[in-house]
Amino acid sequence: MAEKLRIVHYLNQFFGQVGGEEKASTGFLVKEGPVGPGLALQKELGDRGQVVATVICGDDTFALSPAKNAEEGLKLVASHRPDLFFAGPAFAAGRYSIACGAMCKAVGAELGIPVVSGMFEEVPGMELYRKYAFICKTGNTARSMPAVIRDMVRLAMRLVSGEKEMRLLTRENLPRPDEYNYFSRNLLRNEYCEKTIAERTVEKLLAKLRGEPFESEVVPPRFEKVPPPPAVRDLEGAEIALISDGGLVPKGNPDRLARRSNLRWGAYDIEALRREYEVTHAGYFNDYVLERPDRLVPFDVMCELAEEGKIGKLHPTFFSTSGCTTVSKRCGEMGDEIGAEIKKRETIRAAILTST
Amino acid sequence: MKLEIESIDIKEIQSGSKTHAQEGVLYVNLKELEELILKDARIKSVDIHLVYPGQKVRVLNLMDVIQPRCKVDKVDADFPGFIGKMQIAGSGRTRSLQNVAVLVSNPCTNRKENGVLDMDGPIAEMSPYGKMNHISIAPYVAAGVEERDFENAVKAAGLKTAVYLARGADQHPASKVEVYDLDIPNLDRKSNLPRVACYYQLYSPQFDHLAISDPCFYGTDVHHLMPTVVHPNEVLDGGVVGWLAIKALDTYSIQNHGVIKELYRHHGKDLIFAGVVCAVANMEPAARVRSACMAANLVKNVLGAEGVILVKITGGMPHIDLSMAGEECEKLGVKTAIFTQPLTPVGTLSDTILFNAESLNLIITSSATFERTKISWKAEKFIGGTAETRVFCPDPIDQFAGDPVIDIEEYLLPGVLDCTGNSRVIVKEY
Repeated sequence: MAEKLRIVHYLNQFFGQVGGEEKASTGFLVKEGPVGPGLALQKELGDRGQVVATVICGDDTFALSPAKNAEEGLKLVASHRPDLFFAGPAFAAGRYSIACGAMCKAVGAELGIPVVSGMFEEVPGMELYRKYAFICKTGNTARSMPAVIRDMVRLAMRLVSGEKEMRLLTRENLPRPDEYNYFSRNLLRNEYCEKTIAERTVEKLLAKLRGEPFESEVVPPRFEKVPPPPAVRDLEGAEIALISDGGLVPKGNPDRLARRSNLRWGAYDIEALRREYEVTHAGYFNDYVLERPDRLVPFDVMCELAEEGKIGKLHPTFFSTSGCTTVSKRCGEMGDEIGAEIKKRETIRAAILTST
Repeated sequence: MKLEIESIDIKEIQSGSKTHAQEGVLYVNLKELEELILKDARIKSVDIHLVYPGQKVRVLNLMDVIQPRCKVDKVDADFPGFIGKMQIAGSGRTRSLQNVAVLVSNPCTNRKENGVLDMDGPIAEMSPYGKMNHISIAPYVAAGVEERDFENAVKAAGLKTAVYLARGADQHPASKVEVYDLDIPNLDRKSNLPRVACYYQLYSPQFDHLAISDPCFYGTDVHHLMPTVVHPNEVLDGGVVGWLAIKALDTYSIQNHGVIKELYRHHGKDLIFAGVVCAVANMEPAARVRSACMAANLVKNVLGAEGVILVKITGGMPHIDLSMAGEECEKLGVKTAIFTQPLTPVGTLSDTILFNAESLNLIITSSATFERTKISWKAEKFIGGTAETRVFCPDPIDQFAGDPVIDIEEYLLPGVLDCTGNSRVIVKEY
């Protein structure tokens, strides 16, 4: 028989049987073997695994600095060399959900082992950490503990089995969220289905035409309207920055912006860039920009305008990203990051954004 | 317009002294086929292989996959405008060979993104082509021939091979006959069934190699195509072919166009198939608006459709043309079903939508074309390239066909995904 899996379990002070809210400032401590819900966990695991240690921390203590505490907790977890890590379940507890999520993120990233938790859909830990952990869906009270523990163990066993998901084209070890009752992890995958794309489409369109209910495969987002800022007065004195999502980067692409689904941006000295550059963008053909980057980013015109005194000055740094099939959420974040950088530089009064 | 496709089920292929089919076996005179291909002075030489499921073979630099077909009752009418004389495709009788295809490789290509098909292992499992017999051709360029000109020669060689094989099977009885009969001018106007059209996006110039568009419609490129009404049979019968690169689309899938065939299956039962409007993705805003308005007008006021399915080509940008056409259709009261292709593996489905139009409320995922998959499989033989042939990956890494693992996007694996709607694939949140 295969060796038993070594399991470490994370709990807060309450479930870790240290005490209630009055003990929420307790620091990290480790108990050998299972504690509290860990007993149910151990029972559900049977001889497939052994809860070797329980890492406990007070909710208040953890919430003071989740990332730093996760680092400390990780050391305690790692010293027990686990094959599998459980946290919680946290149910509807806000601080506890963040602690469980942060612990899962740190342990998963560092040790590369499956990390499983359980949460109620409305807690902040779910949205913050769903990407990093397998979080089983729970009710909002601990009454459903046995069922949640069952779900968590079932999911964990599926993950450690290394079984390939045959419904995925990629055949990854990635169980279906609906089948294993966990929150999807912000991943999109092609999945085999019984009906062809064409069959589904005609069927649904017929329902729509008949005025019957139909289900769209995607519920489209509603984008917020961004009002344009007021115009810049006295352009003659304004320092202006240039930004583009056309993928113009220094030769060698030092920040490794991707041609597609890029998540990064870079800040480059314009003079150096214009001497040696390349384009990293799969969404348009790059030939014309490679021939003359001014076609994408109007360095030439801006220099002329500055010479003529029509603008104050061109900011010497160009902010560049590659916007090709990047999800809008990340585009917004990059906008915020570039905006913050521009503000930090203090002298820039306006920016021109060019796109492809 | 009536088209009869007479299918012959080919169970096996073998080389033989005469190209013919007998009891489900297709015999191919490889010498004669080679001579046919080499008649084109742009081609110096050609490698021809018979390829079978289960072989440890990796076929590289794939440009197209073509179903062997020929016209039975017309002269010089195969793939009109490409290799046949220009005439309208889609009527009369066509012989079609099932379970066999022509794999067209361009070993001299300078394109970065080229198709890959394995005849065993994970790719063969994923692709219907991994379970078929094939005649693989890989032509080499003659001295002095320009790159794009040679690509057209390779494509023509593939189409000629497809016709040659189907012609050779002329003595074999058909195992079934599919009839595509749609008399659009006289469609039953009294019917209570809804009239449904197909908006078929043929092409997007965003990937143009050396800034030249690929011919794909009656022998011409369609860079500036105005929305055009075509009879669905023209699409099925060789009026439209795949690009000079595989992008979740090839000639085989167009010859068996998923949405067109599905609309035919429903025609007269619960809908009336009103016809097809072909359009392209445009590079300029004005052209997009023009194309969207014209397409919607053709759908509504020329074809008289109440519903339309908007079929998308690969790429991000084509979403814009597609959704603008869809919005214009909805404005005219035509109910839409629109395809989308989530292009990133991260996010929610809703995050991936590239348009903001409340009226487009029926969105179908026609696969995540750029999904990446790691293929761990070792070929013993390479066709159309070598173990040193580069395999495209969007990350700045070098990988080669002989590597123990290749990290590849699924749109480059022919047959795995299909823009025309034949794949049994849906995109889900995980």
